[in-house]
Amino acid sequence: MSPAPPALEVKGLTKRYDDGTVALSEFDLAIPEGKFFGLLGPNGAGKTTLISAVCNLIRITEGEVCVFGQPADCLQARRWVGLAEQDINLDRFLTVEETLIYHGGYFGMSKDDACARAHEMIDVFDLRGKVDVRTPKLSGGMRRRLLLARALMHRPRLVILDEPTAGVDFELRQELWRYIRKLHEQGTTILLTTHYLEEAETLCEEIALIRGGRLIARDTSGGLRERYNADSLADVYVKAMGAPR
Amino acid sequence: MHGYSGTAGMLWLIRRETLRISKLWTQTVLAPIVSSGLFILVFGFSLANRIREIDGVPYKQFIVPGLITMAMVQAAYSNNSSSVFQARSDRYINDVLSSPMHAWQMNLGFNVGGIARALAIGIGLGAIAVPVTGAPVREPLVLIPAVLFGLVLFSALGTIVGIFAETFDHHTFVNNIVILPLVFLGGVFYSVNLLPSPWHELTHVNPIFYLVNAVRYGFLGTSDVSVWLSLAVTAGLAIPAYLWSQWLFTSGRKLKA
Repeated sequence: MSPAPPALEVKGLTKRYDDGTVALSEFDLAIPEGKFFGLLGPNGAGKTTLISAVCNLIRITEGEVCVFGQPADCLQARRWVGLAEQDINLDRFLTVEETLIYHGGYFGMSKDDACARAHEMIDVFDLRGKVDVRTPKLSGGMRRRLLLARALMHRPRLVILDEPTAGVDFELRQELWRYIRKLHEQGTTILLTTHYLEEAETLCEEIALIRGGRLIARDTSGGLRERYNADSLADVYVKAMGAPR
Repeated sequence: MHGYSGTAGMLWLIRRETLRISKLWTQTVLAPIVSSGLFILVFGFSLANRIREIDGVPYKQFIVPGLITMAMVQAAYSNNSSSVFQARSDRYINDVLSSPMHAWQMNLGFNVGGIARALAIGIGLGAIAVPVTGAPVREPLVLIPAVLFGLVLFSALGTIVGIFAETFDHHTFVNNIVILPLVFLGGVFYSVNLLPSPWHELTHVNPIFYLVNAVRYGFLGTSDVSVWLSLAVTAGLAIPAYLWSQWLFTSGRKLKA
């Protein structure tokens, strides 16, 4: 019996934007199924470009992206991926409930299943009081919850969270962490990008450091500290990002 | 899980596009019906005393097909251009682009929204104008393809503009500076045979002239040009326009960085 394919496998991925900027250059990455994986790097390092390539949101220049062994652009692979983007991108015409149900519909859920799951997500993310509120009228925290609920709506096997706690208060951050951990315990593979190093250290089993579109290190938090002879992940980050290329 | 075709997702996208119309129905459907209805009342009944007939058709009936066409094509265009532009601008189009749908299903899903809105307006306006003016529907077998090709053309055009537009002004610019003048100069209120040269000849290069005449033939059984030429020109523009919007979804050009 052949081993299970990785949840995410990226081979030789290059993305050159129309203005000539190379965001990723021959990038390789494999994330085993069930891992909680962190991706750290400064702004412009290529994290969001990588995520966009996995989710079919950019035209890749070269390379290959597979999700659970399937090309990322095939329909099956797309159903396996859930994305919470860094920016709040909610449909302004829909209510909280509709946002979730329509997302479920786009991802092939039946109406009954989508409705039931939407209400499950509404309870989990404490959105019950806002069910019929249109998204522009939600507070920042509520929008962030809804964004996460939407990403998880279709029960993806690989959840990609692009700075999910950016601009979120301490209480909500703790709450989101609890839910993300629970999700991981249930077997979901998670790819997290964040600028909060303690978040990566607390949550992630493995961390990759990325700079200038290239992977510069990958290990557990402890392994990275040892490798860079650092006391904390913050020190690792400073040393890794400050090192000559 | 395997063998999923994306059809369910496309149907939800169509549902979303029509939900948007129904939520804003006073703006999206009622307002165009009222304004076109006023055109029929003001022009049809006030000018009917001065212009009794054109090509043997009472003037108040003569303007009905053109006004219905004008309301429908503007709705098909503006619905899609604003919906797609807003989805791009607020980036919630990513929810569709990342979903398990084929490019043709996304294109069709967005385009159906404009067609549905235009049909709601056309049917509503027809339900008022036909009994009020007594305009007949003589050639439904011409009317149906004429309307269909016209709506495909303008909904696809709206989708294309929605994809290319960088600001909301671009969407209104095309509507106000291109579509509206072409519609007005396309023989909505007059027969091209009444125009002197060179306006008579110039009107024949206006594509909307052919659409208006195809729809007019469907209603009244009269047209300034061959109905087959009108249908051919309209279809000849609708098909490439639809293929262009399809290409944008397939290639990801302007939709994906």
